[in-house]
Amino acid sequence: MLGYLVDLMRLSRDGIRDNRLLWLLIAGFALFPIFTHFADLPFWNDVAMRIMLLGMAAMGLNLVLGYGGMVSFGHAAFIGIGAYCVGISQFYGITNGWAHLLFSLVACGAAGLVIGYLALRTSGIYFIMITLAFAQMLFFLFVSLETYGGDDGMSIDRAAFGVVDLYDPLRLYFLTWICLALVGLALMFIVRSRFGVTLRAIKSNESRVEAMGLVPLRFKITGYVISAVICGLAGALFASWQEYVSPDIMHWTRSGELMIIIILGGLATLAGPLLGAIVFLLLEEMLPWLLGVVAPAYAENWMILFGPILIMVVMFGRGGLVGLLDRWWAADKAGRSVR
Amino acid sequence: MTMTLILEQTFNGLQAGVTLFLVAAGLTLILGIMDFVFLAHGAQVMIGAYAAAAITGATGNFYLGLLLAIPVTFASGYLLEFLIIRHLYQRDHMEQVLATFGLILFFNEVIRIGFGPAALYSDLPPSLSGFVEILPDTPYPAYRLAVILAGLVLALAIHLFVSRTRVGAMVRAGANNPMMTAALGINIKILFRLIFATGACFAGVAGMLLGPLTSVQPGMGEPLLILSLVVIIIGGIGSVRGAFIAAIIVGLVDTLGRVFLPALLRLVIDQAAADGAGPALASMLVYILMALVLIFRPTGLFPAKGS
Repeated sequence: MLGYLVDLMRLSRDGIRDNRLLWLLIAGFALFPIFTHFADLPFWNDVAMRIMLLGMAAMGLNLVLGYGGMVSFGHAAFIGIGAYCVGISQFYGITNGWAHLLFSLVACGAAGLVIGYLALRTSGIYFIMITLAFAQMLFFLFVSLETYGGDDGMSIDRAAFGVVDLYDPLRLYFLTWICLALVGLALMFIVRSRFGVTLRAIKSNESRVEAMGLVPLRFKITGYVISAVICGLAGALFASWQEYVSPDIMHWTRSGELMIIIILGGLATLAGPLLGAIVFLLLEEMLPWLLGVVAPAYAENWMILFGPILIMVVMFGRGGLVGLLDRWWAADKAGRSVR
Repeated sequence: MTMTLILEQTFNGLQAGVTLFLVAAGLTLILGIMDFVFLAHGAQVMIGAYAAAAITGATGNFYLGLLLAIPVTFASGYLLEFLIIRHLYQRDHMEQVLATFGLILFFNEVIRIGFGPAALYSDLPPSLSGFVEILPDTPYPAYRLAVILAGLVLALAIHLFVSRTRVGAMVRAGANNPMMTAALGINIKILFRLIFATGACFAGVAGMLLGPLTSVQPGMGEPLLILSLVVIIIGGIGSVRGAFIAAIIVGLVDTLGRVFLPALLRLVIDQAAADGAGPALASMLVYILMALVLIFRPTGLFPAKGS
């Protein structure tokens, strides 16, 4: 046990700035409602909520995408399954929020196991496409399930979480925050554990890992299931917060969004997805406003700037925002040591 | 009555299949030869449809619209490759997904600003707006028939080009092993650009042909893009022949599944359950097909890459 902890400490040295940044951001989310309360900007609580949920889902996806090198283009499906578990269990009269969360996690774990088992037989572009295909399959399944609202979706009453009364929106905010912190903590341990190191080794050279006597597929599937469960948690919280769920939540563009958030923030970093979600959603809020000031007639067409920004990020931004901060820090340190 | 319905729906499936093939033909080469995940191919469909609709609207002549829109789509593909895509070949798939996703957003917004968010409807020329009797007492819209014919002619042309010409041989060699092809002294950069522009052109033609059948609106190419990705994966990345066969299969399965699957299910399970499950299953059918193909043949039906 002690040896294991020492191992953990040694391994975590390379990601120490990453860790610090992650907890700085999470702490920021805890303090944010105080700021919005005094600045009288309650709307921004909603934005922060969306950032936390999308960030959480992106953190889950990052485990397979960044650390595992498996480019899944269908993780929106797990957000959708998580969200629909809340809706469907309420449809059948189950109002306990903890039960909803449990159903979501179990359902997403099972779905992740099945999809992962089938999809991980392929690799490269084929893997991207088969994950997309499974997501589309589920998307159209929920579109055509008229019982659960079909295309229009279904509205959900806010669930009862026992002692935690969620009629006060701030309580749900903090429930989400606790989940985010738990996910962050779990991922911090997972990526530095033996399992996480193996996953990263598979990314850089799968046959070598196999030659060492390990079965890469097992690690990949496990990673896939964990990430599916995290996305499901985000989806379940999303549904109880919005009090509404529709197939839109699992549209294929959402999978693209998650990928964008990760690459924007920094692949295979802990803080990256959260930082990416902050920048992504702030851009979504700020660009229309900015365009409204410069060219009011085109305020709705903010995506005309957003698209090129994404292309720029790919063309010039290596390593995402965390990479940028890292380089900046490194330069700062070098500058100081010269002085 | 049922025979008529089956025949009619088979023709509709064929029409969906050939238009899918036009989108997939270029995309399969882009994926296969350049190993490039190009999601903005749907935007090329949209550009083609809008170009044709705009030129038809301005000149009043449908055929002139089609004819003049072709160089527009070719130019847009050529420019896109030259300005952006060629810088991204060396990047990994994820970054390509991200950049081309950005392109989708950009193109949709450009079209929205240029033509407004509402859908355009273009009228059919009088010569194609009637019906043709494909069998005695079985009328079928002339325009859909024309689309099928045009698609088949283009498919034949693509097939002959790829299998019989010198450039076609280069394309096949490129799909099989791009590095070796370049080492044999073939200017693979120019080849890439031409494939890209031609592929964009075919996608544009698909958009033009579909214009009068569906609504021409921003984002119209995206459902078609997803379906053509399914086609490409089923057919095997980089294989034009595979794309054709898979496109026809997907077109038929999708169209016929939607019409007949609920009825077929009703024979097996009780009506209420069938009415619920039928449409759900029908809309999932092509994706189930793709997943099955990938599970049993992980590189598609006709893989182009040498092993």
